Amino acid sequence: MADELSTGVERPVRVKRPSTWAHYRALVKKDLLHEMHTKDMLTSMGLYALLVLVVYGAALAQAGSQLDVQQMAGGLLWAAVLFTSLLGLNRSFGHETADGCLDGLMLVPMDRSVLFLAKATANLAFLAIVEVVVVPLFFFFFLGTVGVAPSWPLLLAVLAVGTIGIAGVGTMLSTITVNTRGRDVMLAVLFIPLSFPLLWSCVSAATAVLVGTEGFMDTFTMSMALAGGYDVVMILVSWVLYDFVVSA
Amino acid sequence: MAENRAKGPRVGGALDRFAPIGLAVGAVLALVGLVYAFTVTPLVNGASVNGVEVINGVAVSNMLLLSQKIFYWHMPVAAVSFVGIAFAAYYAVRFLMTKDAAYDVRSKLCMEIGLVFVLCTMVTGLLWTRFEWGVWWTWEPRLTTYFILMLLVFGYFILRNAVADSERRAVYASVLGILILVDVPICLMVTRLIPSSVHPVVFRADSGMSFEMVLPILLSVIGFALVAIGLFRLRLRAQILEDRLTAVQEALED
Repeated sequence: MADELSTGVERPVRVKRPSTWAHYRALVKKDLLHEMHTKDMLTSMGLYALLVLVVYGAALAQAGSQLDVQQMAGGLLWAAVLFTSLLGLNRSFGHETADGCLDGLMLVPMDRSVLFLAKATANLAFLAIVEVVVVPLFFFFFLGTVGVAPSWPLLLAVLAVGTIGIAGVGTMLSTITVNTRGRDVMLAVLFIPLSFPLLWSCVSAATAVLVGTEGFMDTFTMSMALAGGYDVVMILVSWVLYDFVVSA
Repeated sequence: MAENRAKGPRVGGALDRFAPIGLAVGAVLALVGLVYAFTVTPLVNGASVNGVEVINGVAVSNMLLLSQKIFYWHMPVAAVSFVGIAFAAYYAVRFLMTKDAAYDVRSKLCMEIGLVFVLCTMVTGLLWTRFEWGVWWTWEPRLTTYFILMLLVFGYFILRNAVADSERRAVYASVLGILILVDVPICLMVTRLIPSSVHPVVFRADSGMSFEMVLPILLSVIGFALVAIGLFRLRLRAQILEDRLTAVQEALED
């Protein structure tokens, strides 16, 4: 050791550059850990979704048994998912700016698009956890007596495609709105119109599988193709543009 | 900054001289198109009825056939609104590539022109649905997607007002402008994707429109396009002068 220093030969310093995948994993882990400590998003989203169901109970109470709940179930379910995710997305960037976390992340020499993917994955995970609780509750409260068509397991595919799209678009938009005045309203103003095509096709697909009338498979596949195409386009565009948004 | 202004766009020049002429010619063309549609073009390919007759299970009166005349302005205005939004997205991309504020101004102005034409499309469309389908509004796919487009354009301007920092505002607005463009092809394709749609598919080879119907539409399309270009240039000129005034005021205050 001493010899090396005295001879003055410079040994190259080797630092292994972490891969993009390692960045991604670290970022997702950071969000999940933060959530496990604070339980900020999960509790607020879960409670909010539960309360939306309670409101549905009041809203549908007067309709009694005449109402065809099966026809409306897809729409009601997606309305609950959309509003719940709106609440969660608003919070997902709150702690990043509050503790200067985002500034720290910007110092890391990495591809900023990874930030988008990691953040979207974390939001997707939280939304999925909330849905795991809320969707069975929805069935229990509103579809218990009516029952659903035997094709209902396909609803899982609809939920997956819809939630991926919501997480992707929502992550992008919440990054924009976190720096604006009145950001809660701003997110809703941008998010609801922009996600409308996705919402529309998801409701259409969900209603098709829950009601299960003759030839529902055609409606289902077309709506799923629309929703899937929307997911792909929106996530690709957001992925490309995220660098500009997050560094602005 | 000074260098930027030097190479930046100037007020005056050929395009600015063209603007008022283009506006006037465009207005005249659009008007001629409409007058032609009312005077020369026969009712829906020469169909005419005495009083009220039932065709394909629909009670058709001359008034209903006459209401189709709105189409000669409705379709061109809608087409120009799409073009306006497409140009807004184009300038947004240019802005993100160069970070030159001049492109952001153009993107904003294109979106403004788009908004004007979107509102015109909504008004003519509402009048027409009232006559043709008997309702002011229906959640029909084409109407819905266009309504969503209008809300997004509103959202664009709300977002611009909600960001204080001008550089950040430009980036956010550009990104949203590009995202809005995604809804335009959805709106265009939706009548083809969802066949149950009441709204007809206009752009197709076998649309069955006679020359008397196509000519006024072409006149109106060209007319409204010229109006849009003229408005854009005039608005750009006003905006550049305004920005220069603000810059001078700030320089004097310092």
